[in-house]
Amino acid sequence: MIKKFVSLLGVGALALCAFVGSASAADTVKVGVLHSLSGTMAISETSLRDILMFTADEINAKGGVMGKKIELVIVDGASDWPTFAEKAKQLTEQDKVAVTFGCWTSVSRKYVLPVLEKNNALLFYPVQYEGEEESQNVFYTAEAVNQQATPAVDYYLAEGKKKFYLLGTDYVYPQTTNLVLLEYLLSKGVPLENIGGGFVKDSSGKITNAGKYTGFGHTDYQQIVAEIKQFAASGDACVISTLNGDTNVPFFKEYAASGLTAETCPVVSFSISEDEFRGLPAAQLVGQLGCWTYFQSIDSPANKKFVADFQAWLAKTTATGVVKEGRVTCSPMVLSYDGMYLWKAAVEKAGSFEVDKVRAALKSGLSFDGPGGKVTTQKNMHLTKNVYIGETKADGQFKILKSFDSVYGEPWLKGKFK
Amino acid sequence: MKYFLRAVFLLPLFLCLPSGAAETPREIIARAVVSTDAVTQRTLVSSLMGQGEEVIPELLTAWRSDAIFLYKTDSATIPVVLSGDKDAAGAQVATRVDNGQPLQDAAGQPLRIVGKDYKTADHTSALRRAMKAVLDIVDLVSPNRTKRLQAVQTIGQAQDASKIAVLEARLPLETDPHVQRALREALALIRLKDANEAVKLAALVELKELSTLSSSDFLKKFLTEAEAQKNATLIAATKSALHSVETHRDVVDFLGTIFRGLSLGSILLVLALGLAITFGLMGVINMAHGEMIAVGAYTTYLVQNIFGTGIVIPFFGLSLGIPGMNLSGWAYQFYFVAAIPLSFLMAALVGIGLERSIIQWLYRRPLESLLATWGVSVVLQQIFKLMFGSNNVQVSSPVYLSGNWTVNDIIFGWNRVFVIGFALMIVFGVWLVLTRTSLGLLIRAVMQNRGMASCMGVRTERVNMLTFGLGSGLAGLAGAFLSQIGNVGPSMGQNYIVDCFMTVVVGGVGNLPGTVISAFSIGLTDQALQQILLDPVIGKILVLLAIILFLQWRPAGLFVTRSRSLED
Repeated sequence: MIKKFVSLLGVGALALCAFVGSASAADTVKVGVLHSLSGTMAISETSLRDILMFTADEINAKGGVMGKKIELVIVDGASDWPTFAEKAKQLTEQDKVAVTFGCWTSVSRKYVLPVLEKNNALLFYPVQYEGEEESQNVFYTAEAVNQQATPAVDYYLAEGKKKFYLLGTDYVYPQTTNLVLLEYLLSKGVPLENIGGGFVKDSSGKITNAGKYTGFGHTDYQQIVAEIKQFAASGDACVISTLNGDTNVPFFKEYAASGLTAETCPVVSFSISEDEFRGLPAAQLVGQLGCWTYFQSIDSPANKKFVADFQAWLAKTTATGVVKEGRVTCSPMVLSYDGMYLWKAAVEKAGSFEVDKVRAALKSGLSFDGPGGKVTTQKNMHLTKNVYIGETKADGQFKILKSFDSVYGEPWLKGKFK
Repeated sequence: MKYFLRAVFLLPLFLCLPSGAAETPREIIARAVVSTDAVTQRTLVSSLMGQGEEVIPELLTAWRSDAIFLYKTDSATIPVVLSGDKDAAGAQVATRVDNGQPLQDAAGQPLRIVGKDYKTADHTSALRRAMKAVLDIVDLVSPNRTKRLQAVQTIGQAQDASKIAVLEARLPLETDPHVQRALREALALIRLKDANEAVKLAALVELKELSTLSSSDFLKKFLTEAEAQKNATLIAATKSALHSVETHRDVVDFLGTIFRGLSLGSILLVLALGLAITFGLMGVINMAHGEMIAVGAYTTYLVQNIFGTGIVIPFFGLSLGIPGMNLSGWAYQFYFVAAIPLSFLMAALVGIGLERSIIQWLYRRPLESLLATWGVSVVLQQIFKLMFGSNNVQVSSPVYLSGNWTVNDIIFGWNRVFVIGFALMIVFGVWLVLTRTSLGLLIRAVMQNRGMASCMGVRTERVNMLTFGLGSGLAGLAGAFLSQIGNVGPSMGQNYIVDCFMTVVVGGVGNLPGTVISAFSIGLTDQALQQILLDPVIGKILVLLAIILFLQWRPAGLFVTRSRSLED
């Protein structure tokens, strides 16, 4: 309630600013930010709002987009999917924003999609997702399955792993990802009996579901860990985890207690980035793997400058609700940052803020040298980018083990690997 | 091919070496530590394989456990090992990895270095595996039983015939029965690859006798090979060995499920026992029970930080800094033992405060107590957020709760064994308090008939307060334990409140033995269903469904208690 009130105040203040600055309204362009600032997803999504505010400030300080300053319209999706649709409607129909940056969960994106398509609006979506979608109204800076899950499998295969256990939270992203992974593993010659977690087959014997799933907020991983221990008893085994959010804590605590280690049976997790690490027990996770298109530990001048600039911005920002202590940067944040710069480049190339022209410019293959390396837009509204495999360290950062350069983002993977 | 390429790649490196004497193991390790190329590091480490110097396991173990540090001077990076106590300035004596001599400054004097001078030497899992392969051979004769066991298993699973001699030499010397078994298994696994059929058959007989879970994959693979060759004797022997492994697996699964069920039941019991008192005995529908659990968990977090480096808590604009005791080693690990009574006290105090301020006015109005305690739970969650942030906080597990005993392939996690003992102790303690103390007598009297007890001169207000404090304190104990296996965050209580009410209601409201039995029944059923269905989601749904049906049949739960407190 208080939060809502504060965010109302925030919106009010923004509106006031807009009103005061109306004399120079022609010099600004409205950009929507649609993330959950309250509810269960707020922990993750607030970081994305912060990075978007930082990016807008950075672009404005350099003169804005085509001479116009970015004016952010920040709304709260409140971790509630119908609210996302409502707020998207408000942004596109009332505020008439030129572009929107937002959404975290796939289900929020699915809710927003019809609104965008009806109004021919454009959304930049920054968080790893399951693919099988290619809307003309969404630009997916997000990692597609082949930019996260399949490179991780390649890494494991190169390390000599022979047995793969699939584990995830029970919803669309893990289920789709695991089905794609199953096809990928089979195509790499891994026999079905070496893939753990169980299968569901339909009446014709076709596998419709692969892997082991637990609900959101599941706390008891004894049985699953005992199963993994038996699975790993004969050596060369690994776990591919799409467990989401805080279920990782009981899982990893149980995992460590049962005597399984990163050396005997490593776990690669697709949902743990530097930002999530702030609430996880570091000791139990050391040595386990992560796979993203960006790590804060990337040793490049561009990344060092980005991290330093963000910390400097945090230190001096006066925006309400921005946590200043212990902040890190992570892949979804950087993909939001890259997204805003790509949009700027597209607008400048098109010479217009019109969605159709901007889309055409995006599809023409624009590049931007971001903190995670060079990213290039593709015809299919996805992004070519580098992929990194990292090993977690006790301080919550990743040591980069391997990188794959310029991986093409491919959303349609089901049935692709034969 | 790959190795050839690597060798070519490494050739120039070797050529760069100072000619003359070969490198000592110390020098090789020092060079591997400072190298930035992962392949070079691995090759250097692997080159130590089979060398007998004692310094090799010592340094590699130090490296793996982050005890080798890089000391940077202007011209070079020197890997060092620290030793001795820190002096007043926090400086320690450093020993060079490459020659075992003390680190010296320009003037040749021993140099003591402080934390900002050095950083930990990195290592990756691939590198640690290379180190492990070296250590495995060394570990075969290690005094540590676990190390010997792991080493034997790794060697066996690699099925490398060249290792047979080493293992055979070790077999008669090995005294530990587990490691002996592992050695026999390793030898049999390697011999499955032998060309001679008689050797293979002997190996299969051995594996059948051992019936280890780890051999099952190898046997299955061997079976397909044998079937491809249409060798009937081998097929029969393999099938018989596999059958005996599978029988063993069934036994392990069965006993393991019972243990896991007991442990889950114990957790439910610890969680629900406090509620069995506040809700069951006192009749307060206490929706804030989950937050009392969180109070206990956060107390554990605080104690952990006080034993460590201290903590700063922002609170309504004020910043409260609590200095830490900066303990390390066992003294720090002791924090959890200290946290247990403190969590009880803290939660009991919060409970007493809650009872005095709100609940005492609501004893005769259960529905309003539901609304009021629900409100309290929301307020408490916000207070946690203000004090500790909305992210989950990290509580580390002390070493004595993060290992396991593996008996005959069944894992007994120390934390799980602990919770079973903990739950039994709490139940015993509560039973003692209720039946063997005067307070217990008063509690029972007041709960049975508040008005009558009051007429007899019992200070019912005080008894109510203490009873509620006891119930809340028990919730705090549950929180302290949960911090060891799950999340600690502002909304953690919400995850458990349903399970708590479920356990109490199934057991029969107002009946403590009922709560105990219901907790263990739910735990065992849940684990058994998971084991049979292999699907936690459906398992959980079936448990809830079974409880609904059960309550249709017996609405008052397992044990019906006639108590006036519920009819007030």
